[in-house]
Amino acid sequence: MVCLQLLHRNIDCIERRFDANRGAIVIKCKNLQILRLDIPGQEEALNIADSIETLSTLEDISLWYPFYFRPRQFDILEDGWQAFNVESELTRLISHADHSWRISHVNKDFTVCPTYPETVAVPKSVTDELLLASASFRDGGRFPVLSYYHGDNGAVIMRSSQPLVGTTGRRCKEDERVLNASLRPGKKGYIIDTRSPNLIQMAKNRGGGCEPEVNYSQWKRVHRPVERHTALQESLCKLVDACNDSRASMDKWLSRLESSNWLGHVKDILTCACLTAQCVDKEGASVLVHGGEGIDSTLQVTALSQVILDPDCRTVRGFEALVEREWIQAGHPFNDRCGKSAYSPARSRYEAPAFLLFLDSVWQVYQQFPCSFEFSTQFLIVLFEHAYASQFGTFLCNSECDKRKLNLQRRAVSLWSWVNRPEVLQNYLNPLYEPNKSVIWPSVAPQSLELWSELYLRWTQDNSILDETNKQILCIKEHNKELRTKVVRIRRQLMDLQKEAIEKGLLAAGNHGNTETASEAYSSSAS
Amino acid sequence: MSAASEDRRNQEIIDYEEKTSRGGASPDELSIHTETGKTSTSVDSGPSPSGTPRSTYSEHDLAQRSDSPEMSLDLQSSISASSENIASTEIKSTQGEEPEPPPRKMDDIPLLAGEQLQARARDVTYLCPYTGPSRGTLSVTNYKLFFRSIDREPPFILAVPLGVVTRIEKVGGATSRGENSYGIELFCKDMRNLRFAHKQENHSRRIVCEKLQIFAFPASHKLLYFAFHNEEVYSENGWTTYDPIAEYKRQGLPNECWRITRINESYELADTYPAILCVPSGASDDDIQQVAHFRSRGRIPVISWIHPESHATITRCAQPLVGVGGKRSKDDEKYVQMILDSNPQSHKLCIMDARPNVNAVANKAKGGGYESEDDYQNAEVIFLDIHNIHVMRESLRKLKEICFPSIDDSHWLSNIESTHWLEHIKCIIAGAKKIADKVESHKMSVIVHCSDGWDRTAQLTGLSLIMLDPYYRTIKGFEVLVEKEWLSFGHKFAQRVGHGDDKHSDPDRSPVFLQFIDCVWQLTRQFPNAFEFNENFLITILDHLYSCLFGTFLYNTEQQRVKECVKTKTKSLWSFINNNLDDFVNPPYTTYLHQHVIIPVCSMRQIELWTAYYVRWNPRMAPQEPVDLQNRALMHFKRQLQRRVEELQRELAAKNTGGIQTPPRVSSPVQT
Repeated sequence: MVCLQLLHRNIDCIERRFDANRGAIVIKCKNLQILRLDIPGQEEALNIADSIETLSTLEDISLWYPFYFRPRQFDILEDGWQAFNVESELTRLISHADHSWRISHVNKDFTVCPTYPETVAVPKSVTDELLLASASFRDGGRFPVLSYYHGDNGAVIMRSSQPLVGTTGRRCKEDERVLNASLRPGKKGYIIDTRSPNLIQMAKNRGGGCEPEVNYSQWKRVHRPVERHTALQESLCKLVDACNDSRASMDKWLSRLESSNWLGHVKDILTCACLTAQCVDKEGASVLVHGGEGIDSTLQVTALSQVILDPDCRTVRGFEALVEREWIQAGHPFNDRCGKSAYSPARSRYEAPAFLLFLDSVWQVYQQFPCSFEFSTQFLIVLFEHAYASQFGTFLCNSECDKRKLNLQRRAVSLWSWVNRPEVLQNYLNPLYEPNKSVIWPSVAPQSLELWSELYLRWTQDNSILDETNKQILCIKEHNKELRTKVVRIRRQLMDLQKEAIEKGLLAAGNHGNTETASEAYSSSAS
Repeated sequence: MSAASEDRRNQEIIDYEEKTSRGGASPDELSIHTETGKTSTSVDSGPSPSGTPRSTYSEHDLAQRSDSPEMSLDLQSSISASSENIASTEIKSTQGEEPEPPPRKMDDIPLLAGEQLQARARDVTYLCPYTGPSRGTLSVTNYKLFFRSIDREPPFILAVPLGVVTRIEKVGGATSRGENSYGIELFCKDMRNLRFAHKQENHSRRIVCEKLQIFAFPASHKLLYFAFHNEEVYSENGWTTYDPIAEYKRQGLPNECWRITRINESYELADTYPAILCVPSGASDDDIQQVAHFRSRGRIPVISWIHPESHATITRCAQPLVGVGGKRSKDDEKYVQMILDSNPQSHKLCIMDARPNVNAVANKAKGGGYESEDDYQNAEVIFLDIHNIHVMRESLRKLKEICFPSIDDSHWLSNIESTHWLEHIKCIIAGAKKIADKVESHKMSVIVHCSDGWDRTAQLTGLSLIMLDPYYRTIKGFEVLVEKEWLSFGHKFAQRVGHGDDKHSDPDRSPVFLQFIDCVWQLTRQFPNAFEFNENFLITILDHLYSCLFGTFLYNTEQQRVKECVKTKTKSLWSFINNNLDDFVNPPYTTYLHQHVIIPVCSMRQIELWTAYYVRWNPRMAPQEPVDLQNRALMHFKRQLQRRVEELQRELAAKNTGGIQTPPRVSSPVQT
């Protein structure tokens, strides 16, 4: 018997195929799986397809499964909604910063910026009035806030949206003061703009733009164009298309992969994040990252550069905190971006696999530093799946504000409540993990970037072999542990016996040195 | 200063610091074997012990540094301007004598036992395509080329066995102007080229060139390969690894249907075959003589492998001499029937012709051809569409072009595709898979041949054996496989690789064995815990395919190797490998899984470019985390613990069984 369970939200699109009096439904899922159900009888097939379609395209969020899901298999040990409280996370972040940063509640009740959380971290010397002025000069009210504080040298990464310069070259002195307050004396900062000069020009015509150097003389502007929205979505569709094409003539596989340009986008994001990380770590310079609205490419860059810079972000808790802080609470509109995946023909212009691209980039770094991450690559896939369809509320809505309106924390369960349970989490740990305190610099050369076949090809290829390898590694680890305990036990036995022998006068005292050698050998190898 | 140029400046500062911040393995550790001359790998990993920056996030910047000649020239001029005065050349020729005792530490180069310094030139510049020019001393021995820089600390070291050199070209003449325009360029078989610039006024190029010519191409100068001078001592003797009788016995041969014959003992039946063959027991020596007349080069069908349960066999041979007239040989047909009859499980037999159909037909014009299904009743002929050595050579040439020195960022994947290299790899694996499938799932016997039966046939039988028999996935078993399917059955290594031969455009050269190793690597990717050996094992084999340090791959046939006394006068590669097993073990290898057959997936999506081999000179390919070293340390630690446990257990047992009278000898008390 085959049992198949699928969340309605996981259905990307549905295709109906009929011949004679049989019907078939092809279900294409957001997690890239494709299922085909053969149903005898056209009428039934049609009905089933219609119901599935209706159920999978419900508009009203509050009718979605997370609002009905009550975990029965597990009790909530630790409430995931509270696990990464904004205020405590930010306090932790600025705790190293010798009081030059502070927590601001200027956005209480989301009045200043609907896509920000209520609590943000800003330079200490900046008053809430300055922030209000700065917010009015930034797209969507997203004034510059702290994203990351580099403990080694005090350099920071901030993010915002574009300034509303417009064609008339508007200026906002308060905004300049907010930015300058984040600089340390005598240090210049970098503004990394994720758009091309062309795009910025177009934005100017619509009231946006970028910081002119005359007004922001303490900042150097750098352009690192990364692709966005529709282009990303198209790229993903082409990629998935190529991955699913199982026809015999596969000789064009590589050129199709290349023409999807997905790996090119991965490279762009990685390059930009690495540059940001370099400015912070090597130059000791503060960086402001923004694109247009500051909710897509900006977050990709700031989040990814923290994975590179901060060893904490490579642990399970740290990565969860990063996703929570830099994506969910930073206002990445998951609802808009992850509404549809690679299959659906009906697409809105808001859809973009920005988060998937981020996960892919993390995976690329992971490939190069397989021992530096506490979680396994499977964990990234879990995040991908839940971002698109989930029984949990974590990735619902477009912002904290929306979540509040729906009273989500009360009505749905957080993904973290489930995933952080020891029996769940142990499946997503990397057996090779060795904490690595240093900054990790990935190579961005094209030959260093690979297709994430574990994800894109997982429904068309058998991954069981890789699982077996993982199991084997675990076995080795387990065996290692056993040997260690065995050594300890036997050593203890030996000591006892020696003591006994000494008491009986059969062995000269002070002659039990070699048990020490073993423990020394152990500690020296272990270190 | 514009944002872009400002950015580049940062880049340089950043790159520089990155060297010290990287936690990866230092090339010092990675190239342990280079230092002792054991293997020939030495990554162009730049001047710093902690690795060159592999990550340059401004693409533009990297391009500037690696490709632009103006840039290199600039750097060079500033270096050499200050060093004009120190320029001096010192050439020592110490042929036939002990190498001079090291005069200065700087001139001290690591030498193997039996290796002698032949020439030395100071003030030579190595033009590294990745890290820019570097000035130092170039030494040539009868085994390798050795360059040590003097302008970087720690020095940049390059050690390249001369066996990998395929072509030596002088660049520029006496009248050449401009920095670094006068020198030598070496084209290598292992996917790289090396360029050195000499100073005209030093007159050092002539002697270096001369020595390089002699020792890179000893065969063209009627000299012996370096393997005959190698006096390194290994505790293992790799020449005992393969004993054909023992290997046949392992497979359960001879049995009632198959016998071992020494008919080819003096290599008269087939001069490219081994002395010991395994043939159907129903075939008399006379029959075999007759069959030999009908097969190209006398290469009759002989057994490669027999299925331990079904007794289905894989036999290999050369094409039948059918010719345009469609000749037949009753003896050959009878012989094939005997092969079929030896397998009671099937009434059909499969003849796998490795070639594309058209090529097989075309071969008829040259007297060859393939078995007609009319004449060989009960036989099914399948063509596997693998192209010939010339197509493969061209494909690899293109691959080298796109991999070295620099990689086109935007067209990397389509460039790979245009070389068709991966398609060829896929085709070979698919062919081997077909063979394995026929034998395993259909219990059918398979005869494999191409034209001569020493190139594509060896690839196919070798791979299908690896798929079918877990023994060949062990280190020892793989060594046996190479000895058996490749060396003893006469893959013309000397000709295909061009050992010590200066005819670089010889059309007989082809990367057939490289392709086989690549295919094996693809299998290890798909079945990461089915192989006892790791990637380093495969790369080491390839390095020594060219190095001529060991006798293993020298000459074309067993007959020649016997004649040249290779086994007594040279060392075997397996001696070196079996002596250093730790370096070649794959930790996740499991014997209990994959006991039997591994059938790979042959979709193009599964076939990857082996960048760790083909792009390995690119400093960006150096591993970011020293997983290998960690593995080795862990394995070492595991053994230590295991030993310790055993020791303690013994002691415990001794005490428990009244050993109290003889207290254990407790050694080395440690003060704590």
